[in-house]
Amino acid sequence: MRNLVNSIAKKAKGIKFNFHLTMEKRHKIEGLIFVSPFIIGVILFFLFPLYMSLKLSFGKIISMVGFKIRWIGIQNYVRAFVIDINFLPMFWEITRNTLIQTPLIIILALIIAVVLNKNIAMKGFFRTVFFIPFLLGTGEVMRQLLSQGVDRQVLSLANSNILPYTLLNYFGNDVVTTIDNVFGMLVQILWKTGVQILLFLAGLQSIPESLYESAKIDGSTEWEMFWKITLPMISPVMLLCIIYTLVDSFTDIKNSMLSYIQEFAFRRTQFEYAAAMGWIYFAFIIVLVVVIMAIMKGYIYTTEAERGGKRRARKNVNV
Amino acid sequence: MQERTLTYSKNIKMNESSGEFVRKIKHTITSPSRIKQFIIRLVMYVLLFDLTYVYIFPFLYMIVTALKSNADLNDLSVNWIPRSLKYQNFQIAYQLLGYNRYLKNSVIITFFATLGHMLGCSFIGYGFARYNFPLKRVLFLLVIISFIVPVQTIIVPLYITYKNFNWLNTFLPLIVPTFFGFGLKGSLFIFLFRQMYLGLPTDLEQAAKIDGCNFMMTYWRIVVPIARSSFLVTLVLSLVWHWNDFYEPAIYISKSSMTVLPSRINYLSSIVNAPPDQLFDMLQNAASELPEGEESLNNAVMMAGTFLIIMPVLVIFSIVQKQFMQGIETTGLKE
Repeated sequence: MRNLVNSIAKKAKGIKFNFHLTMEKRHKIEGLIFVSPFIIGVILFFLFPLYMSLKLSFGKIISMVGFKIRWIGIQNYVRAFVIDINFLPMFWEITRNTLIQTPLIIILALIIAVVLNKNIAMKGFFRTVFFIPFLLGTGEVMRQLLSQGVDRQVLSLANSNILPYTLLNYFGNDVVTTIDNVFGMLVQILWKTGVQILLFLAGLQSIPESLYESAKIDGSTEWEMFWKITLPMISPVMLLCIIYTLVDSFTDIKNSMLSYIQEFAFRRTQFEYAAAMGWIYFAFIIVLVVVIMAIMKGYIYTTEAERGGKRRARKNVNV
Repeated sequence: MQERTLTYSKNIKMNESSGEFVRKIKHTITSPSRIKQFIIRLVMYVLLFDLTYVYIFPFLYMIVTALKSNADLNDLSVNWIPRSLKYQNFQIAYQLLGYNRYLKNSVIITFFATLGHMLGCSFIGYGFARYNFPLKRVLFLLVIISFIVPVQTIIVPLYITYKNFNWLNTFLPLIVPTFFGFGLKGSLFIFLFRQMYLGLPTDLEQAAKIDGCNFMMTYWRIVVPIARSSFLVTLVLSLVWHWNDFYEPAIYISKSSMTVLPSRINYLSSIVNAPPDQLFDMLQNAASELPEGEESLNNAVMMAGTFLIIMPVLVIFSIVQKQFMQGIETTGLKE
């Protein structure tokens, strides 16, 4: 009996010994534990739906029970581009809006962030003010405000006394409406800059002050410093901002595509067509992102630490 | 101490004769670089105040219109300052919105979803910042991809997945995914946290380890308290996004008693714009009535409603505003 117990104890000791992990292995396991929520979530709520929607866009649902899909090729895509008369004009409009708005949002947000980052009076007040449209939201509240034409009232020629009425008559009605439209667009763009300003501010704060000091000693002007120091240093944040703006513009309330896909998916229950339109959308974004990445690739600044990131990470293996 | 400062200031006054003072002013005015600087500053402030007007306009418009009476609304000469303040608008909007009931739904969803983003994304971001593990690059690429994919692309299979889980018409589809940190918003927070952790020195964590702290304890006791500012930034952004989210709640929740507060605005607008003969029935359904001497609802009620909807967010933001702006500075985004 005692022998048996002893032998079991020995075996148990042996097993325990086998389970002993090296430092490096334990480090890896700890890392995996930290990102495990992401792995679970991304498989369950992202990769699986992504795969299903791709399959759906090339197929037809045979039975809703068990979600069986038959492959039918590119018919759904053909329908979007050739048969559906609403899709292409809508898609073109959104593409155009995105291509016009994104650079404007980025540039305006950058200018405002740079000014707010300077040593100015009432800094806190201005920073809070520029965040208000974001608080009012991108959702139903903003939709309600926009439906009342608030964006046009901000800088309106027709309804205000910026210019005398006779002068406006001289311009003609069309010109005044066009100018008001442009102002309205501009105001809407400004209201969308909240998050981007924040990201830029955070990016600007991380630029070391010593760079500016040494540039000042070498006699460079503020203008030169902006182009030679600020812009290169902030380029990674800029890329993040651009991609964020691009993707976010697709969930905008003024985006007619959103309600169009929703209508097909949930009111007409044509899941396949909705999925195909969603993928056309996604493909468009991917193309834009790849183009932007290709353009910005040569300009994006990476620190020495990031370039040698792997080496550094291996050094810190114990933490 | 006081005496010393007094004598010091006296000395300055005595030393600085009036002639020197005038010369200083002359120098300030006539030196071309100073003038240029002054003009640049002036233009900057003018621009800033103009922009302030643009940014603050919707907010002011909302409040001012909400306080207007019927007569003021129709009077074009009343622009910013109403002749009489009408607080009743808020009362009517409050009743019509069913504020208490829907506020509860919104608060539950927003609270747990924000909590999910704060816990999940900080946790995952820490893993990406401090650890090396197999498939790290692939996983980080997945973070980026899930950042790019718009919700519309995967909404249909997601809907079916949630249907299979029996999650439709519950708050779960809006709350549970936030704990796993993916999608446009989740990925952004993962980026933010990762960058912030990368900027932190590892000394404290190493010290904790030497003292016998295991990795979870190190995270909870050491890292989370240091990362407070990033948590605050996540809190505000996530809170506003979830409060104003209209797309996903509309898809996953079809039961009217479960809808979130902001989507009630459509109902309010349908009442306000209803034809007069149907107005009475609709009001009766909502168990409310018009104040005396009024025949119809107007835009002021509408704006009062929108203000009530956005108010909780404004209150929370005004509480954490100062720390939030400081948090932005210390987030130190580099990538």
